[in-house]
Amino acid sequence: MKRRKFFTSLGSDKPSNALRASVQGVPHAASPGPAIFTNALLRTHENKAVRFYDDLIKGKQVLINLMYATCESACPIVTANLVKVYEALKDRMGKDLFIYSMTVKPEEDGPEALKDFAEMHRALLPGWTFLTGDPYDLETIRYRLFAMNHIAIDTNIYGHTSFLLIINDATNRWLHVDPLASMSTVLRKISWADPPKSHEQIMEENKKLQEQIDRERKMFGYRMNA
Amino acid sequence: MPGPRDKKKRPEESKAEKEKKFELSRLSRRTMLKLTAAAGAGTVLAPMILTSRKSTAYAQGTVAEPVLCAPTPVPQSPPHTPFVDDLPVPSPAIPQFLSPFPTENANTAHGEAARDPHQRWAEFTPAVTYQLEARAGTHQFHRDYLPSYIWGFNGKYPGPTVLNAYGVPSLVRFKNSLPVTTSSFGTNKTTVHLHNGHTASESDGFAGDFFDTGLFKDNHYANAYAGIDDFGGFPKGDPREAQYTYWYHDHLMAETANNNYMGMNGAYLSYNQLSPPWEFNTPGSLRLPAYYGVTDIPLVLAFKRFCATDANTGRTEMFQVVGAAAPGTDKFTVNGKIQPKLSVRRRKYRFRLINTGVVLNWNFSLHGPDGAQKPMTVVASDGNLLHTPADVSATSGFPTIEVHVASRMDVIIDFSQFSIGDSVYLKENTQTPQFVSTPTPPPPAPGVPIGTVVMRFDVVGNAIIPDTPPIPDTLIELPPIPAAQPGGPFEWGFRFIPGQADGNNFRVSHSSIPEDNASHVATFLPFDPFRSDHAVLRGSTEEWIIRNDTLAGAWLHPVHIHLEEGRILERRVCTVPSATGCLPANRTPVAMPPWEDGNNARRDVYPVPGQHSLKIRLAFRDFHGRYLIHCHNMNHEDAFMMVRWDVVETMAELRNRREEINADRVARGDTPLYRKEELG
Repeated sequence: MKRRKFFTSLGSDKPSNALRASVQGVPHAASPGPAIFTNALLRTHENKAVRFYDDLIKGKQVLINLMYATCESACPIVTANLVKVYEALKDRMGKDLFIYSMTVKPEEDGPEALKDFAEMHRALLPGWTFLTGDPYDLETIRYRLFAMNHIAIDTNIYGHTSFLLIINDATNRWLHVDPLASMSTVLRKISWADPPKSHEQIMEENKKLQEQIDRERKMFGYRMNA
Repeated sequence: MPGPRDKKKRPEESKAEKEKKFELSRLSRRTMLKLTAAAGAGTVLAPMILTSRKSTAYAQGTVAEPVLCAPTPVPQSPPHTPFVDDLPVPSPAIPQFLSPFPTENANTAHGEAARDPHQRWAEFTPAVTYQLEARAGTHQFHRDYLPSYIWGFNGKYPGPTVLNAYGVPSLVRFKNSLPVTTSSFGTNKTTVHLHNGHTASESDGFAGDFFDTGLFKDNHYANAYAGIDDFGGFPKGDPREAQYTYWYHDHLMAETANNNYMGMNGAYLSYNQLSPPWEFNTPGSLRLPAYYGVTDIPLVLAFKRFCATDANTGRTEMFQVVGAAAPGTDKFTVNGKIQPKLSVRRRKYRFRLINTGVVLNWNFSLHGPDGAQKPMTVVASDGNLLHTPADVSATSGFPTIEVHVASRMDVIIDFSQFSIGDSVYLKENTQTPQFVSTPTPPPPAPGVPIGTVVMRFDVVGNAIIPDTPPIPDTLIELPPIPAAQPGGPFEWGFRFIPGQADGNNFRVSHSSIPEDNASHVATFLPFDPFRSDHAVLRGSTEEWIIRNDTLAGAWLHPVHIHLEEGRILERRVCTVPSATGCLPANRTPVAMPPWEDGNNARRDVYPVPGQHSLKIRLAFRDFHGRYLIHCHNMNHEDAFMMVRWDVVETMAELRNRREEINADRVARGDTPLYRKEELG
């Protein structure tokens, strides 16, 4: 167990903004915008009206998951893990990284219920928004964003509750991760949607990883966790 | 500064030429400005970066990223005309000198990905080196389609075929030149697994050992038989452990399906005296059809779906649901072509069927022009020669052959049973037939619907290269099934847990420590490259049971184990189906086909349908390090239906690791994995 603490530093190296900017120009398809996301009018847990694409997604890096307030199976575990993710990426939260938890039962979950849920799970944090809205809109978003193209999964709202979507709208990068995976895995996958790193930075991180491998080989005789 | 002399030597440019040059440069600049204005500011920087960067990796952004079609409703692929494209053969990889020169320790200063030093480097100094560069490209899947955006090795789909001889150690430099910024389905990191090479861990493409764009990684392949420690000779190792048909593919954790769907895979064939790359008589040769691309042809099989052709972008993009699992299919592709045709002559051919997935399994039969089923002979399963070849025919008891994801089947088809002018069809029997066009064309042969045909063979003439002799009755003497060390067997179970996502239901346990599924829900952990769930001693042999508790009719899990080929001792089916786990007394043995039975075959993919269990025996030889067991349905392995296990060098280390695994399990409320006497 102790040995494992070593590598938790992996996700923490953040590229400097200047370096990021130098590789932004490689052509890639632009974000589809509201055509995929919709610009539905949603309501936050603070009872504020927001446009889904314009206010929440446009140009941002976001994590989106589905939940409902009375859910007792996956949602509490997932939310607890998301709180850990939040803690790990605290510096970026609310600045260039946002979490959106959308209810799949908008008929039951008004802003009040969502706020209670957030409070209960210690998720009432800046940069983390719980969303409800018109059931038709939310279902549309669910199908468009979380489509797994398997009728058994797509019609079963519970199947969606352990699925974290990672989107960087600025680079139009989409990924997903099982939020029940280990924290290092979840953080790694979130970082895969970060703005691209410069070649120099990739080289530097690679060098650090090699140093870590060498250190472990010295200590244990073999590569343990690097 | 060039001196006056230098100036004299150079031919003077005429004024007209100078002006022309200037005009050209101005033109291109002007055009560029126009283009960038149209395309948006995002592209302005691209050419600057291309010219200012030293690394060639950044030049790959030149292939425009795909504009994807909407994920809902799921599109139907555009129609195609059957049998118009000739079957392409992936070109052989060309050996080349590498700069910087390959080294035992990772050359991080020059951009090699961090790794352990190569094991057995001095013993197997690479004699042949290759470079395969993962990069974006375009590929045309059918004459009626426009090119599609792909990621492939050397920009090609399928990647070049690596041809190797046993006894000649090789090294393949996998270079990551995928786009720096990507909005496509793939993820621009990679780690490449040679499936199923007897490969040291640092060259095995371990799922957590991925590396970024701009880096490369040298995978060292000893090209020696398993059993290097125990067998001398040349090539080293036990020649009965020879493997022949491999494929290499991306193994990036959680994104394997996506990157393979994008095209990141290719074939890798090995030769030895039993199966040399020629057909004439040499000592020990089985004289199977052997001329690569002529009479010995890899068939790289993949399921795809496409968006409508977009005249504006000039593309027919592969359908991708970005941010989700790999999509369903309505086109079957062989070597990157939809329903191709192949001209053959009246003689034997060896086809190496390779299922690159990413999700579904194939079930093949061969049909003549009258629709009647015709025989094929299986000579190798998962790249390993069978002891006795087996016929797939209407009368042999095995009318079809299944090729599960990642599995390989080498079949020999004797076209001398047909007449010149005949057409022969390779038919897929279990998947939803592919969409051809509306209305559906009539069946090309009675009982063979057009949508089920994967490819067509046209018998165009008599053999020019003389036919090979009949297939020998015995191909290879298999090594004896190794005796298992005391302890175990360990059970790798796919459990049925309502409400749990895929991937949270695959775990290892001890067969003698009973448990039911329900009470251990909380102890199921998804794959983590930093967590090893099982440790084995190098040089030991273990018995493993792979069981699938999900109900019959649920997913069949094609389980793949890295490093070693295994022998299937028995396959059992549960007679009293139960979601909570089958009692050992209720598991009844069933017959196995000859390409599965451990007495006749060696496997590295173990298909386990619901309620089935397989007992296998594995030796862990020659190398140490981190290896994987996982479901090779790539959506499943991406959902972490995968476990890391380690080969360790010493008893002391084994004890340490096993005690730690036990302690971790007990700490999270689970049963211990090892009994006292198994701690080492």
